[in-house]
Amino acid sequence: MDSIRDLACIVGIGHTEYSKDSGRSELKLACEAIQAALDDAGLRATDVDGISKYTMDNNDPVEIARCLGIPHLRFFSEVAYGGGGGPMGTIMQAAMAVATGQAKAVIAFRAMNERSGRGTARFGQAAASAGAGGPSSYVAPFGLFSPAQMVAMAARQHMHRYGTQSSDFAEIALTCRHHANMNPDAVMYGRELTLDDHQSSRMISTPLRLYDCCLETDGGAAVIVTTPERGRALRQPPIMIAAGGLGGGSWNHRFMVRDLDAGESEATIIAKRLFNDAGIRHEDIDVLFIYDHFTPLVLMALEEYGFCKRGESKDFIAGGRLRWPDGDLPMNTSGGNLSEGYIHGMQNTIEAVRQLRGVARCQVEDANYAFVSAGNAVPTSAMILRRDS
Amino acid sequence: MNDIVDFPYPVPEYGAEPFWQACNDEQLVMQRCELCSKLRWQPAPLCTFCASDQYVWAPLSGRGRISTWTVVTHPVHPAAAARVPYVVVEVELEEQRGLRLISNLQGTDHDAIEFDAAVEIAFISHANGQKLHVFSLA
Ligand SMILES: [Zn+2]
Repeated sequence: MDSIRDLACIVGIGHTEYSKDSGRSELKLACEAIQAALDDAGLRATDVDGISKYTMDNNDPVEIARCLGIPHLRFFSEVAYGGGGGPMGTIMQAAMAVATGQAKAVIAFRAMNERSGRGTARFGQAAASAGAGGPSSYVAPFGLFSPAQMVAMAARQHMHRYGTQSSDFAEIALTCRHHANMNPDAVMYGRELTLDDHQSSRMISTPLRLYDCCLETDGGAAVIVTTPERGRALRQPPIMIAAGGLGGGSWNHRFMVRDLDAGESEATIIAKRLFNDAGIRHEDIDVLFIYDHFTPLVLMALEEYGFCKRGESKDFIAGGRLRWPDGDLPMNTSGGNLSEGYIHGMQNTIEAVRQLRGVARCQVEDANYAFVSAGNAVPTSAMILRRDS
Repeated sequence: MNDIVDFPYPVPEYGAEPFWQACNDEQLVMQRCELCSKLRWQPAPLCTFCASDQYVWAPLSGRGRISTWTVVTHPVHPAAAARVPYVVVEVELEEQRGLRLISNLQGTDHDAIEFDAAVEIAFISHANGQKLHVFSLA
């Protein structure tokens, strides 16, 4: 075996509602999302023997096992770097565990009260502390606190170097909102967004405006991973993991200020193997899920994963090609982190599975391959998912 | 928590104390590898380029150029409310390509900030007494 190709599959997906205040604990959210994923798969908790979590997630695997009634845990792991390593990293851990026989069926999940702050501190706010240690000691004394502020600095470089405009960032925000407006589960459902709305929205940290930044959300999302042999006997058509990978390197800062001069990035490291492992080309991707924490980073991800050349993302996305149903490469078809809900990327994977099952609201016709990336500007993860043939 | 009127003061990482002590003496220093002579930032126990653990804290000129910046307009820390808009700048120091430091840019019309503009260092005091490096246009 030299790759994960077709050795594991996603057989269940589940999520809670997405809200500004869930009104219940993060443990309850995790359990609800996992139970929904088990129901979807037609599995019982006793069929599961592994849990893979984001390091940042506050939920303890053993607590989840106690609540759900998982008697034997044979595999548990966690993946670093939040929305970068977490979304596909946890699923890759699960895939490797079932592929090597360490576990039969593994849960990958993310649950947080990130908007209400009941358990998780809001990522868009700084702790009201008087002192800053660790990596923050080099930036917080200068008022650099939030991911938005750090990403703003890379966005400005991209604009300077390639002529990218704020209206190009807006196209990403408008695309996600367009899809959210067809998804009643989306936090921003029923709220139209125009280019004027984007351009007149509050400046957060130049050049990033409010609508360049993702939502903050309470909620939980989970998937169940098992082997193809087991998966094919279950209720849903198994969605195969065609390729997956994690990427990072010495150029990754300990905070989210990017170095566009490094040449390589976490995304280029993954891209080198991903399409090779899956045995396909970029043109074979039917539906895109690019982690949308900040609109400029979506453009950089499209470039660094090789969908277009560096600096050409603004032309690549022009003409509404990312918008369903008319665009030829729909992206984040349930609204993404920007407009559906911010469950640290896990909800994008769930929508990718729906697309490949053929049951999405904005269903891409004959969707065979989905590309799913996690948050860039930090060490990250990505996958190519495939409909079982 | 509303009595926090200043940005957080730095709590030095173990091993990074000489950097902050030098700031108090109004001197910018960084670790210079004794094997390959490269400077590195942020502080680390081993050289980024050759993994040697032999280094000296070398004085730098404090001159450099703006590699990118942002004007923060939305306050996310209690002390930021009274500070916005303020400029966070990334400065590439003249001693070595890619050697970049986060700081503030002072005394400049925000619309006049440009890429590659020459800057020079100054030091200001945090309310807790620690001096911090800041930059202004040269
Ligand atoms: Zn060295």
